[in-house]
Order: sequence, then structure tokens, then C-alpha cells
Amino acid sequence: MIPDRLYRQFPTLLIARRNLTRTKARSALAMLGIVIGVLAIASLGLFGATLQQSVTGSLGGIGNELVVSPATEEGVESLTEADVREIRRVAGDASVVPIRQGAVQVRYRGESSRVAAYGMDNPGDSYAAAEGRIPDGFRSGVLVGASLADELGVRPGSSLTVGNRTYRVQAVLAAQQGFSTVNPDSGVVLPIRAVPGEGYSQVVVGADSGEEANATAVAIRAALNDREERVSIFELGDIVEQIGSAFQAVNLFLVGIGSISLLVAGVSILNVMLMSAIERREEIGVLRAVGYQKRDVLKIMLSEALLLGVVGGVVGAGLSVGGGLLISQLILGDALAALTLGNALYVVAAFGFAIVTSVLSGLYPAYKAANEEPVEALRS
Amino acid sequence: MTTPEGDGDGSAAGSDPSATESDPSTARSVPDRTVLEADGVVKRYQTGGETLTALKGIDLAIEPGEFLSVMGPSGSGKSTLLNLLGLLDTPTEGVVTLDGTDVTTFSDRERTDARKRTIGFVFQNFYLISTLTAVENVEVPRLLDRDPETRARARDLLQRVGLGDRLDHRPDQLSGGQKQRVAIARALVNEPRVVLADEPTGNLDRATGRTVLEQFREVCGEGVAVVAVTHDNVVTEYTDRDVTLVDGELFEGPFREVDRKMREGTLERPGGASPAAESASADLGPGQRKGDTDGSDP
Repeated sequence: MIPDRLYRQFPTLLIARRNLTRTKARSALAMLGIVIGVLAIASLGLFGATLQQSVTGSLGGIGNELVVSPATEEGVESLTEADVREIRRVAGDASVVPIRQGAVQVRYRGESSRVAAYGMDNPGDSYAAAEGRIPDGFRSGVLVGASLADELGVRPGSSLTVGNRTYRVQAVLAAQQGFSTVNPDSGVVLPIRAVPGEGYSQVVVGADSGEEANATAVAIRAALNDREERVSIFELGDIVEQIGSAFQAVNLFLVGIGSISLLVAGVSILNVMLMSAIERREEIGVLRAVGYQKRDVLKIMLSEALLLGVVGGVVGAGLSVGGGLLISQLILGDALAALTLGNALYVVAAFGFAIVTSVLSGLYPAYKAANEEPVEALRS
Repeated sequence: MTTPEGDGDGSAAGSDPSATESDPSTARSVPDRTVLEADGVVKRYQTGGETLTALKGIDLAIEPGEFLSVMGPSGSGKSTLLNLLGLLDTPTEGVVTLDGTDVTTFSDRERTDARKRTIGFVFQNFYLISTLTAVENVEVPRLLDRDPETRARARDLLQRVGLGDRLDHRPDQLSGGQKQRVAIARALVNEPRVVLADEPTGNLDRATGRTVLEQFREVCGEGVAVVAVTHDNVVTEYTDRDVTLVDGELFEGPFREVDRKMREGTLERPGGASPAAESASADLGPGQRKGDTDGSDP
């Protein structure tokens, strides 16, 4: 009874719906076009957004990090204790991790390979152990990166020969998630003194936010590069921003491709409506004869187009949300992460686009049908 | 959905036939009261540089409750006349008056409105909307008005034409005669003053055709004028008056008679030299119900 009452209230809708059911397959195909269009726009949008979320998620807090390295082009080979003190002074609350990086030969049970060695005082601040324990004051022993440990088959307690000295493996580090500036996955972490070389090869400064990192970078430049160029600073925030805008461009491109499919769907609606207008020429003539104004015919035809768009759009939007959840589950491992405002906007925009496309496509056939002279239409 | 009390309101002509049927002649007691009138109507068409005159000055007055047939060979201009009377088309010259109002200068919108208020159409091919049920088809002219009483009126009308048990059937589940009766009910749903029928019996067998004609007779009894364009001689048995169109000119009398007179050379042309001839022909009022001329037919 509810639909009946609805149709009483909106009689054009009744006529429109009945007309669409007259050629079920054709209407269904036109709707399918809209469904695909909406699905394309929304799910490509969602896909892009999820990918971006995933990448920025794995970039983690690197936007807050600065890597201070010696200005090698100015002949500065390494950073001194004094440089590190200066950096600590201007960095304020930010964490400062001086690192001496070098290459060492490691040997374990006859297997030997050359790997990167990172010397630092408090590896516990930067890394977590998968096995074993990272000591607070790192004076002796060696920490082995996850890949290297896997490759060599070492475990905490094993004896690993680095260079010509043998160290006890204190811990195997947890595999690094995503991107980080200093990644010892396939190397070893040693006490500073154990790494050959002088001074520090880089200082990683971790601020609380991107803005703070930026301010720190300015301060470090002012303090160290005042008279001569001693350090060069790599601001990871720039990269993160660039990656973000690259993703936005990719997303726009994807949605653009999706829009083309909706445009094609619009053409198919145009075709269906045009055929319908031609087939129902006499019937529309009768409507005009019995007192339907041109705008009434226009309304009926546009209602049909709108109905195609709404039904197709709703189905498409439903499928897109489902697809979004699936993509999110596959990429991020959390289906519910897809339920963001930005993603909702993609779905709403795709739905809106579907409605607009349908009505626009219906406009010409509707206009044509409405302006047919009933005398011409009824001439049999 | 509609309460029974709703039936009586605002549908005097349709739902209570007996009141007017008891005295059909009252409608004709005022001789100059016409509902629809054509006055010197000419219709020309331009086809490929040639001008075709479909109607050559038609004078015709239709009174309420009158059943008029328009006969004539194919191409004589019958449909053109019906379109002009039905406000679907406008004359090249002359005036069409509806209830005393000149509708010739009406805009499309005004004509559409006037059609809706005053005129009901019955087509040869029924032209029912195949996706709508019988009762919905009857409602069509008023469907957009959202008048809750239309449904009840549509039911009443279908019951009246004997389709009370076919209300929810689709056109493809109805026979030709049933479809035509649905079409008649549809033509009556807006309580028109005139029903225009194009070959109403053209697609029906004889018996069904007669039922339809009887229904028209009944409609006339309620003061509604019926104009039927037809080839079918049976129609003349039910009409009050017959006119015949030959080559765009209108003659009084059924086609057989006009045709005979033509061959005998005794036909008086309307609008000819003699004004008496004119008044005796098409412009003749319907006050005189057909007399002996019909009786002479076998």
C-alpha cells in the first residue's frame, strides 16, 4: 500500500516506473551502465585514497625527521662531537641520534658478508628487538637486523665476528615497517666505538611535528652553517608532501577515468530514452491529446531518466562502499579504515554525478517527446 | 482507498446517469446552444511546394447531447476535421468556437487545458497505455491532478461500460471491444462536453461495435455530445445526425445518400449560390432528429 500511496502522490513516477518495466532488459542495462560508472568513480577514488593512506601510514613519522649530514661538497667529512652538541642545543626537546655509519665484514659459521654497520649510543630509542633485549647503555655486543639475522641464521647469544673481533649478539631487531631514514634491516648496529671511522656520519633529529622539524632545521642551519657550510639537512617533510600531492594527482586521474565510464553510461541512457520516446510516440500523443501539457510529458520522461540514475546510483554506491571496505581490508588490513569522510565524499560525488548525467541525458529525448505535435504523433 | 461518500461529490455527469438520462431532449430545447462550432473552417497543408486544401470552408455546429457521425471516403478530410474540433490542430482560416469562446488563437497550453476540460477522445486503435491497468488507463487524463476521487470515478465508469470485473487487467489481457470500452471510460473521466471518436468501431466485430455505439448513445443521454468519424454504416443507426465529407466539403446526410445524390447530380453544394442550400445542409441544427431518409435503407 505504501508504494501505491507514493504513486498517488507522484503519478509521474508511476507512469515512469511502469514505462521502465515495459522494457526490463533495456532499462536494466542502462542502469548497469550507471552502476559501473558510479562504481568506477567511487572505487577508483577509494582505491587511490586507501593507497595514499597506506603509503603515508608506512611513511609514519618521517615527516617529523631531519637528517643532518656533513656538507661533503664543502670538504666536511664527518660531524664532530662539537657539532652534535650544537645540534642538541638548538634542537630543544627533539630527539637527537648521532650515527656513525660504515661498512664491516661479518662472519658467522664460515659464512661471510659485507654489510652496513650503524654505530649509535642508544639503539633502544629508535628500534625494537624481535628477539633478545636491547641494552640501555649500549657498550658491547651487536644487534643484528632482521633480514641479516634471517640470512645468517644468528640468534641472540650467538657469537658473530665483525671485522676481526667477535661480538655476542644481544638482540635481533624487529623488521622495519615501511620507510625510515636509517634502516639496519640488512646490517648490524654496533656501539659507536666499534664502527671504524671518526666523528659521526649523520645525525637524525626527530621532532614532535612537521612544523617543529622545520623550525629545528632553520635553527640548525643558523647555528652550524653561519660562517661556513658545515652540514646539509635533509627534510623528510618535503618528501611526504611531494608524495601526498603525487597521490592526489593520481587520484584525480583515476577518478577522471571513472568519469568517462559514467559519461558512457549517460550516452546509453540517452539512447534508451530516445528509443523509448520514438516507440511511445503515439502514446505520448494520446497523453497530449487528453490534456497533458508539454511540461507534463517532460516531467514523465525526466522522471524515467532520474529513476534509472537513482536506482543505478544507489546500487553503484552500495557496491562501491562494499568494494572500498574490501580494498581497505586488503591494503590496510582494516576494513573499517575505509569509512572516512573523504571516502564518503567520493561515493556521494559519484552518486551525484550519476544523477546529473542521467537527467542531462534524459533532457534531449524528453524535450523531443514533449514537443511532438499530437496530431503528427497520432496520424496512423 | 476512497471512501464511499467520496463518490457522489463533483462527478454529477458521470456517476448519476439516471438523472439526465430521463430527459435527454432538454439539452436540445435551446436551439442556439452549441458546445462546439466550426465556422468557415479551411485547412491547407503545404506538401513539397504544393498546397493541399483538406477542408474547404466547413460550417458545423454541435449541440450538447447530440450524436453526430462524420462519414466520407478516405482522404476526404475527416481526420483533419476531427483534429480541428478536438483542438489538436488549428485551422488556416475560419473559427472554431468552444462554448462560445474562439479557440483558434489559443496557445498550445491553453488548447491543452481546454482539451482536458471539455473534450474526450476515443481512438480507433484505442491507444491504451500498455503498462497501466484498465482502471489506471481510465485515470490517465486526471492522473496528474492527484485527485483522490479519480480512482472511484474510474471504477464507476468501467462498471458502467460493463468492465467492473476487469479493473486491474492490463490492455493485453482485454479483447478489442473491452479495450474500446476502457477507452470510452477514459474519454469520460474528465466529464467532457464532447467526445470525439475516430473510427470507434473500426477494429471491432459487429456485435461489439453495437455495444460500443449503445454506450455512446447512453453518453449522449447525459448531455455529452459525441462526434464519430466513421466508415461504418451501422453507426448511422445510432446517431442523431450524419454529415458526409467529400473532398473537404461537408454535406448533410450519411455517405450512401450523399454518394447517391452525387451520382444522380441532385446534390446541393454547401456554401453554393443558394443560401437556402447552405442552411439546409451542414449548418443545419440537430433539432431535427433524422427522419425517413434512414428508414428507406434496407
